[in-house]
Amino acid sequence: MKSRRMTRRGLLTTAAGAALLLGFGKVSAQESRPVWMPFDGFPPADSMAEGLQFLTPDEARTVGAIVERLIPADALSPSGKDAGCVDFIDRQLSGPYGVFSGQYREGPFQDGTPMQGDQSPLDARQRYRLGLAALDGWCRANAQAAFADLPEDRRDAILADLETGKITLDGIPAELFFEQVLANTMEGFFADPIHGGNKDMVSWRMLGFPGARYDYLDSLDIAGTPLRLDPIGLKGGPSWSADWVPPSAPARKG
Amino acid sequence: MTHAFSPISVAAGFAALILSVPTASAQQTYERFGFAQTERGRYIAILGDCAACHTAPGGAPLAGGLRFETPVGAIISSNITPDRENGIGKMTLKEFDAAMREGIGQGGKRLYPAMPYPAFSNMTDEDIADLYAWIMAQQPAPAQINSNELKFPFDIRTGMIAWNMINFKPDAFKPDPAQSAEWNRGGYIVEGPGHCGACHSGKTITMGDKSSEHLTGAIIENWVAPNITGDAEAGLGAWEEQDIIAYLKTGANRFDIASGGMMDVIRHSSRMWTDGDLKAVAVYLKSQPGRSGKPLAAALPETDMRMQAGARIYKDRCSACHFDNGEGYPGLFPSLAGAGSVNAEEPTSVLHVVLAGSRAVATPAAPTGPAMPSLGWALSDNDIANVVTYVRNAFGNTAAPVSTEQVATARAALQP
Repeated sequence: MKSRRMTRRGLLTTAAGAALLLGFGKVSAQESRPVWMPFDGFPPADSMAEGLQFLTPDEARTVGAIVERLIPADALSPSGKDAGCVDFIDRQLSGPYGVFSGQYREGPFQDGTPMQGDQSPLDARQRYRLGLAALDGWCRANAQAAFADLPEDRRDAILADLETGKITLDGIPAELFFEQVLANTMEGFFADPIHGGNKDMVSWRMLGFPGARYDYLDSLDIAGTPLRLDPIGLKGGPSWSADWVPPSAPARKG
Repeated sequence: MTHAFSPISVAAGFAALILSVPTASAQQTYERFGFAQTERGRYIAILGDCAACHTAPGGAPLAGGLRFETPVGAIISSNITPDRENGIGKMTLKEFDAAMREGIGQGGKRLYPAMPYPAFSNMTDEDIADLYAWIMAQQPAPAQINSNELKFPFDIRTGMIAWNMINFKPDAFKPDPAQSAEWNRGGYIVEGPGHCGACHSGKTITMGDKSSEHLTGAIIENWVAPNITGDAEAGLGAWEEQDIIAYLKTGANRFDIASGGMMDVIRHSSRMWTDGDLKAVAVYLKSQPGRSGKPLAAALPETDMRMQAGARIYKDRCSACHFDNGEGYPGLFPSLAGAGSVNAEEPTSVLHVVLAGSRAVATPAAPTGPAMPSLGWALSDNDIANVVTYVRNAFGNTAAPVSTEQVATARAALQP
């Protein structure tokens, strides 16, 4: 075989080609399809949890005593406690949200201006653990009972004072603790029941929200007519069982 | 921005340089058999879909190693590269022919009929010789394969002598002079190299092909290989020749998108068949009578409680893609109305895709490869029984209802 002369041009071309091939290898690896796996359903990790995951029974009792005052039972809906907000908060705290894993958490932590938002070094778990202990400590010192054992109107007054900062808690600003619990209570009340709250889709029924549906293609021709769809969550709803009976009278005006 | 030369063309040229250097053995084979014969053999290997079984994912081409779980143990596909130690490099044409058409491997070793030699016995002498030429021109791979992990007594290969006596009559495909050349070509491909019956024909208790259930469908690896006869109700009756051609060539047609085992057939084989061969196969399949003789179930009434609950689940979870009329969307969402795998006696395929999900085949002609999400986590066994019962009895479908126990069994069989 005739020996080939390596020219400068040839060397450069070959080197460029080799580099490109290597480069293409990397690019194609990133651009390849996501691997499809059987049974890849991505259910939320917390959806199968049973029993308390993070809160102690005493803490859970106190959270229940708070959320049933933030969302009291009335003609429109059951209370936040009966809707499962305690379960929702407990499961969220046990998961990535509990340590704010989606946030930058390395500091430095300084008091910011109100416009700069939440600057606290405390993650959600710490806010509950410190806040609940401090609240009970304050109640025992000033009302001679644990928060959960106080009458409703007394609890309402204490919660109002937490919101405005009239009460000082040990280890955590009272407003921060109140905002944290209020936000999580609303999330639990309105989120998909798969996360533990919104039991029987009570909040969705209250609002007339039909739940996790893809589209309403088949309803386009009946514009102006209330659909009165029974809500469904990610794991379905009562209408999926064989003995379900459609509600006869509309519960609310459309 | 200017370039003296396109980087892509340089890379492509570089790659072509690597790929175009023939191996020593390939060079010798070209000289021995000639380019034309080797090329004909390449097409026979495509028709026969050798790669689907003899190339493991990520492994060297034709080097074997793919596992097939059977109820009596595992069979592992062999290395059929021309490697002289671990492949079939030492095989003469005569020995190769014996393996292909009689199931007798090197040294008289009996092959398991997972290798579809009963179908290949229909192949012509010329096709066998061409295929041999092509295989001997391939890159040898040193992969050592122990192809037999079967349990006693099935691990004794001489048992296949008895199997052959019951199930195997080596017989070349006999053209039917009353039929067109196209029909005969289609028949040759379907019954011979294409070995369609290996999956689509009913099996006897000894796993031989049941002649009374030729191409009328079977269960294989937790999928239904549907009835592919021309039978109006159970088979491909609703599919025009063009639909069969599009399905084999692109993986999708106006009714369906391939999933399960058929994905490999399309990806490695039928998408590269000539248009003439695709048409011939379509003509032949359409001409096949549906001979299963099993009466179709009557559709359940809409008033059935399972149908009522199933309809509501379908509306909430399925109709977004498959639509209220069950007809799906051509090229993206398979039609459930009239689908063979939905109406099959066993609900295996429907349960498979509902429980585990499925990714349909992607080919250059239909590159999307849409996926059905797994609903196994969100639907209970009872929900799935109701919705699958509904799908099998709505949109003009008629098939037996599915019980919660059937769903639980399927779930246990599929769950990794």
